[in-house]
Amino acid sequence: MLGLATGPVCLATCGPVVVPWMMVQPRGVRGHSRQLGLFLAARLAGYMVFATAVWLAGSSIQRAWVGQAGAGRAGIGQSWLMGGIEVLLAAALVVYAVGWPHRRCAAANPAYAQASARLGTTDKLVRIGEAPRSLRSGALALGFLTGINLCPPFLVAGVRAAELEHLSAALVFFVCFFVGTAVWFLPFLSMGFVQRTPAVVTVARMVAVLLACWYGFSGVYLLIERTFYG
Amino acid sequence: MASSSSTLSRPAALRRPKAFRGPTAFRSVGRSILLTLPIALWSLLMFTPAFQRAGRDEHIGAGVVIVFMTALFFLMMRTGETYRWRRIFFVALGFLFPVGFIAALVAQRGTMSIPISRMVSGDTPFCFMVTPSIILPAAFAKTIVFPGSILPTASNPHSIAIMIGIWFAMTLVLGKAWCSYACFFGGIEEGFAAVAKRRRLHRFVTRYSHILRLIPWAILVFVVLVSAAIFEPVYCMWLCPFKAVTEFPAVRNVETAIQMGIFVALFVGLVVVLPYLTKKRTQCGFFCPFGAFQSIFNKINLFEIRFDREKCVDCTLCQTSCPTVALSKESIAEGKTLLNCMKCGACVDACKKDAAVWHLKGTPVAVKPERARLLFLYGAWALATMFGGSILANSVATMMHWLPLK
Repeated sequence: MLGLATGPVCLATCGPVVVPWMMVQPRGVRGHSRQLGLFLAARLAGYMVFATAVWLAGSSIQRAWVGQAGAGRAGIGQSWLMGGIEVLLAAALVVYAVGWPHRRCAAANPAYAQASARLGTTDKLVRIGEAPRSLRSGALALGFLTGINLCPPFLVAGVRAAELEHLSAALVFFVCFFVGTAVWFLPFLSMGFVQRTPAVVTVARMVAVLLACWYGFSGVYLLIERTFYG
Repeated sequence: MASSSSTLSRPAALRRPKAFRGPTAFRSVGRSILLTLPIALWSLLMFTPAFQRAGRDEHIGAGVVIVFMTALFFLMMRTGETYRWRRIFFVALGFLFPVGFIAALVAQRGTMSIPISRMVSGDTPFCFMVTPSIILPAAFAKTIVFPGSILPTASNPHSIAIMIGIWFAMTLVLGKAWCSYACFFGGIEEGFAAVAKRRRLHRFVTRYSHILRLIPWAILVFVVLVSAAIFEPVYCMWLCPFKAVTEFPAVRNVETAIQMGIFVALFVGLVVVLPYLTKKRTQCGFFCPFGAFQSIFNKINLFEIRFDREKCVDCTLCQTSCPTVALSKESIAEGKTLLNCMKCGACVDACKKDAAVWHLKGTPVAVKPERARLLFLYGAWALATMFGGSILANSVATMMHWLPLK
């Protein structure tokens, strides 16, 4: 029930990551279903890691979080964690939604291109607007990172899980929480119907870069704030 | 003598082209007055209340605006040109809006910055730029993520409902022409673009226009997604160049100092320097997410610019003159503008062959285009007088307060 009730907030929190990622995928509901499935599976894995961590931390984490519930921003260890996760999310968005920068640089080198041709490899320059290959690792990385990202419903679930007597109960609680929130992600499948013109793919890549800047700035700001102001 | 000989010796291709004067070039004065009469009456109707209740400065402001708007419309009718006269109004609106707005802020608060108490009490004037950002949070959580009041109050007449109502009404009539006839921000950069003698970055803009015109869409998606994620109007908080000349969060810590730095950098770069260098409206064409949002309404709007392919000689004068790169060779070949056309009329005025024409959807292209122009201009100018005119009148009255004429 907690997952279903807080699902819209999860949707809004993960939407900035899911939308550009799905928009740079080739058109088709089947491909989008696979990508969303991988994303959610990795997100579940993130939940499990988090559930284990909060259960092990137990009442101390509960005390620390409940005290900051109304603060809006993270405090103590949360700042480090959130800052780090946001920087990683920024890097993952750039790498997976925009493309591997080193591969593009290498492919731009004529010597590399000749060597590739000799070896029969398929690396090539990524053109603006060109749809990328579907990368499973992208969906997995982004799913896992959003799975351990501390959004408000996640903190509520974490406090509840920390109170439980057994680890297994905490894990089951988070699985149920995941199922409740995952329902809200199904509308993202409709993005498979959107026409993939070069303009759409280019806009999605630009959005990914802007979001990477946003997450990067937010993460670095949190880390600096934590480091200098305690 | 020397100057005339140098002009004569200049090659024909480099000579400044004569201003094109439209298909109905130089209507008779009587006919032009007749066509201007509805706008003159509308202006009087709009500003009569100001004469009835306000003071001397307000009377002068209203009088100046009535004459100003009516005279510009008369010139549009007389010369057949649109862009040239619209630009005078639009630049005046852009530069005078901050005058009245800042004066009102300083009179009310004593500062341009927004105190947190005002935000908490919802006293911040609503800006139409926020409209796309509030849609998702309002749909998901029934929350308006802007610190303004939904209905007008005594201290904040610029409420959310009123601004969205005005915007929606104007958008239904004008489509994206809102950006050319109503937006009180675009005029500043249009002014800086107008004063430049030549286009310095023309080749760069032409080469990358297909990417540049997609940036507003990316910013729109970004702003909508992140506003929903963090429940804040992200564009207002971080990306609005016009915060530098309107109101902004008080600088009290590193975060607000960074915000202010971004506002100033974007304003200087996109509203002052780049328009001067490119002679384009760079903020409107390459940045503004609200402009991208407005583009969607061009699909349902009745008015558009079309190209008569039989007359077009592919000289690309229209493409060069377009202030927001809303034309490409492909779109001209199809006889259409791109989705981001602001209907400013620059391409129609620039075309020497009468190939670029105003068009009413559902009618044959290039058949009685002046009728389509007139229908559009009546709607556009009436709304510009009502919305922009009241802003101008307020700003003129504010300046009259400052002048030592009493």
